[in-house]
Amino acid sequence: MKCTECQMENIDGALFCEECGAKLETAGEMFDSEVEAGGGSQLVLKANDGNRLELPSKDDVVIGREDPISEVFPDLDLTDLGGADGGVSRKHAVIHRAGTSLTIEDMGSTNGTYINKKRIQPNVPQTIKPGDEVRFGKLSFSLQAA
Amino acid sequence: MKEELKIRCVMSKDSLPITGGEQALYALVDIKTGGGASFGSMPANLGLVLDRSGSMDGEKMDNLKEAAGYVADHLSDKDLVSVTIFDDQVESLIPNQPAKNREDIKSKLARVIPRGGTQISDGLRTGMAEVKKGYSKDRVNRVLLLTDGQTWDDEDACLKLADEAGKQGIAITSIGIGEEWNEKLLLQIAERSHGDSHWIQNPISILDVFRQEVEGMQSVAAVNLRVTARLSQGVKPVKVYSTIPMITDVSKKAVSGQSVVADLGSLDGKKGQAVLIEARVPSQKAGKFRLGMVEVTYDVPSQGIKGKSIKADLFVNFTPDAAAAAKVNAEVMNLAEKVSAFKLQTRALSEAEAGNIAAATQKLQAAATVLLNMGEDELAKAAEREILSLKKTGVLSPAGTKKLEYGTRKLTQALTEAIK
Repeated sequence: MKCTECQMENIDGALFCEECGAKLETAGEMFDSEVEAGGGSQLVLKANDGNRLELPSKDDVVIGREDPISEVFPDLDLTDLGGADGGVSRKHAVIHRAGTSLTIEDMGSTNGTYINKKRIQPNVPQTIKPGDEVRFGKLSFSLQAA
Repeated sequence: MKEELKIRCVMSKDSLPITGGEQALYALVDIKTGGGASFGSMPANLGLVLDRSGSMDGEKMDNLKEAAGYVADHLSDKDLVSVTIFDDQVESLIPNQPAKNREDIKSKLARVIPRGGTQISDGLRTGMAEVKKGYSKDRVNRVLLLTDGQTWDDEDACLKLADEAGKQGIAITSIGIGEEWNEKLLLQIAERSHGDSHWIQNPISILDVFRQEVEGMQSVAAVNLRVTARLSQGVKPVKVYSTIPMITDVSKKAVSGQSVVADLGSLDGKKGQAVLIEARVPSQKAGKFRLGMVEVTYDVPSQGIKGKSIKADLFVNFTPDAAAAAKVNAEVMNLAEKVSAFKLQTRALSEAEAGNIAAATQKLQAAATVLLNMGEDELAKAAEREILSLKKTGVLSPAGTKKLEYGTRKLTQALTEAIK
């Protein structure tokens, strides 16, 4: 299998290019073999260690770190999951729901929001779907239907 | 009966496509404490081996004395402690003894005055001899080596001592302060003895690192941890990495023919251990294929447990279903990405050391891209700064080299701490 970044031939099944470290094409979308994404309306963010955060059923769900001093109370607080060390901003990102469509918008966070390893532009909503990997700073989750 | 440890094996893919050729497959062996684990049941036998060379004068020595005092205060009366100080001469300041004479230890430390050069092997030899006096299989036997300087032409002697320590079950945690010490040597001392290594930029952090070490010794859940993998006919192990407390390539010692035997020292019950095995799998017909067996063995001396073993069989499906074969396990992917970043950094640094500027620059550029994609912005910037340094001066900066060496090795540590 050829690396699309540096054209180096890698063995089938290799996850990262031996030459340049790029993610290889067959790695494709991140899947978690334990839980499959389904079609339900409830959504969860699942951390790699199995921690699950249920998305509240509201149109705009703000994700960040609670800070009572500056009166920031996000809908999903990542403090207990190591948000501070993981570089999560107090107001990091917001997930918008409109019917069945979902978008995520970075709220100008310091360390960025990533969808499937690609950093998204601040303040520009991007479509997401169950099965996507979403990362806030260093904390990464897989978006799944509950 | 509840087991002290539990293991979990996860493959990079549950299903492989039928390609007719060999394929790469990764197995993550995750080791954690089980319901029967008991923490802190093993008393410590700790030897501090501390650099008192002239360059330690001032803030470094003041902070070191405070941190060593913290160790004395936080060991229990059942623990053993010794303090060896070295410059180009060695002094056994506190011979191996129960850690209850705390005030005596602190007052002796207070009288240490920086002087002379740095001869690490002499300090290490004397420090290890003190730890050996109190050595027991029932204790967590450990040396904490701290230095701020390059040693004087005795690197080989240091490495031999580290090998010896590893064989005897004495882990050496090596700590470098500032920028003027040899990170390669300190990392190898740690790796060969199944210890940890730290880079301290600001002397004020010495206390933090010493505190972590004391807590780490008090949470040892098992010792003589060994991961063995016996793979089926045609399945070849290629690379093996242990990832806690830092990413270490153990392939050279561990891989032999179709087997993997990795000795990993003690298990910190709070952090666990995760081993990544990369293998080559021959093509098979559709159906379930047994890859082999993984066995984890360990001792828990306080409970009279020796050579206890937990086994797990590894399987993969060969399937004509392309969609099923394209699914990659996120957890394995995550760990493999960190290992990949570590490998790129290692190769970049060795190219730079060999004077291959173009190759080193290319690898550093690749490392910077990978690190940026992982959200490791600071490390990515460090790699970019080193590209500039290579262009301007033809060599890497001492601080940049340390940042990359330690930063990429500890990518797994950051994850444990961030998700906890």
